[in-house]
Amino acid sequence: MTDCRGDARAVIRVMVVDDHPMWRDGVARDLGERGDLGERGFEVVATAVDGAAALRIVAAARPDVVLMDLHFGAKGPSGAETTRCLIESDPDLRVLVLSASGADADVLAAIQAGASGYLMKSASLDELVDAVRRTAEGDAVFTAGLAGLLLGEYRRIARGPHDDVPHLTERETEVLRQVATGHTARQIANALVISHRTVENHVQSTLRKLQLHNRVELARYAIEHGLAQ
Amino acid sequence: MPAGTDIMMPLWRGVVLFRAITAAFAIAAITVHHHGFARPALGWAVLAGIAVWTVVTCLAYSYDRTRRTLTIVIDLLVTLALMSSSALVLSTEQLTEVAQRTPLLTTVWASGPVVAVAVHAGGAAGAMFGVAVAVVDVWVRGFFSVDLARDMILLVGTGFVLGLAATAARRASEQLRRASRAEAAATERERLARSVHDSVVQVLARVRARSGQLDGEAGELARLAGEQEMALRYLFSTATPGATGEQDLASAVRLLAGPRVEVSAPATAVPLPAADVDELVAVVREALANTARHGGPEAKSWVLVEDLDDEVVLSVRDDGPGLDSDQLVGAVHDGRMGVSRSIRGRVADLGATLTLDTGPGRGTEWEVRLARVRHGVAR
Repeated sequence: MTDCRGDARAVIRVMVVDDHPMWRDGVARDLGERGDLGERGFEVVATAVDGAAALRIVAAARPDVVLMDLHFGAKGPSGAETTRCLIESDPDLRVLVLSASGADADVLAAIQAGASGYLMKSASLDELVDAVRRTAEGDAVFTAGLAGLLLGEYRRIARGPHDDVPHLTERETEVLRQVATGHTARQIANALVISHRTVENHVQSTLRKLQLHNRVELARYAIEHGLAQ
Repeated sequence: MPAGTDIMMPLWRGVVLFRAITAAFAIAAITVHHHGFARPALGWAVLAGIAVWTVVTCLAYSYDRTRRTLTIVIDLLVTLALMSSSALVLSTEQLTEVAQRTPLLTTVWASGPVVAVAVHAGGAAGAMFGVAVAVVDVWVRGFFSVDLARDMILLVGTGFVLGLAATAARRASEQLRRASRAEAAATERERLARSVHDSVVQVLARVRARSGQLDGEAGELARLAGEQEMALRYLFSTATPGATGEQDLASAVRLLAGPRVEVSAPATAVPLPAADVDELVAVVREALANTARHGGPEAKSWVLVEDLDDEVVLSVRDDGPGLDSDQLVGAVHDGRMGVSRSIRGRVADLGATLTLDTGPGRGTEWEVRLARVRHGVAR
């Protein structure tokens, strides 16, 4: 595929993973049409029907952002496994979950495996474009639903048997509760008298701590079950 | 008795076997004692009667399930009649000297109807039949003694305990049947949900996502399709109460999500007593209805469910115009406080606490905190 627009970094390379052909091709077409107006455009460099196909072609396609539905059917790696493998293969890669289901446990698993955000499939094209752009820039795409999932997950692991689990600071809990009840980053910044960037940092930190904890847990599991040396 | 018929079959086989064995015992007893009878000929006739009636009842209990109550009542009457005939057959010595162990002609065979009715109708009926047989026993003998009292206790006790066991077995089988039916329904719903999710929901979600770029009637149609997508998605996530009578608040509240309502909750279940879940869902519904009526057409709502272990917190917020203190007073007249009163009433009934945070331009936020009851500790 030839990029004729000169500066390759001006284009966000996107891979779409979805088992539904209408979505796979539709999202690819939608994103392809957006790319003017002086902002970073998109190039859909690959599409894949499931996690296994995505892992096969990711090295050749070299996307910046993988836009992934979690719903692949029974066989092959799950959405969360695919996310982990993708990020292991290239730590600079960003995964944005695009899901039509209310299967919150799946979304949470993908987030813990390293996905930087989550968007409902019913989101408008503008929201999608904005989310992909922010994901490419390394920001977390936070919806109210995701904040609620994270609050619940931190409390769940606090109930567990281990002491060395991550906790939310009071400020982080406050920020997540505000996000979960629909406040914008600007509203939160005003309410807590902090900068917009600080709000973003708090949100990122809640995500990072959980992802790190997930990696520690996986390693612990592997050692306990003799899978690691 | 269509339900639980299968589970009762082994018990009925037991009743039939018991009838046959006690009949053999009664026939042997008559044969042994017939030398002392006042009317030996009538004695042999009663023996034949016991044999015939045993065959008739065994067949009836094995094959005829439709007229069981009638069969059992007739069985009792026939048995009592054969038992009473002892008064004519046995000699006065045989009747009065219980200590010499001359049983009535029917002996233990007379407990047959007691066992049958206990299996059929439960402990109370078993005990009543036991009393009937014991009373006739005393009446035929013409006196009461410790031995007769012992027989009476055994008869009534057997009927009662066996009846309780039969009722318990029937209930257990009914529960099992209900549970397996619920499981089959859940499996079927999961299969339907998967299929609907893979096809209809994907298409509708796509239509909804593009609705922003369409104008006029096309846009309106897309918006309607989008609402159907949400309705379908949540239709299949309905939670059913578990065996403990607890229900997941998170999945119950998720059903309220829609184009203007976003629900946030933990991925794991938030168990609460089913009645509390119903009330909390009703509170959220009223708060959402309030926003829909007074918040303006563009107002959005967010619902957050949090499980803090010792309490459950439910927050409902909208980005409508909100209320200042003058409006709060004025709201009494235009109906908004009616909703507020109703919400307050429900929350008070639950024993929960309610906080209302509102102000001009700030939207409205309700927060309900419900302390959790743990391990049967009363609230």
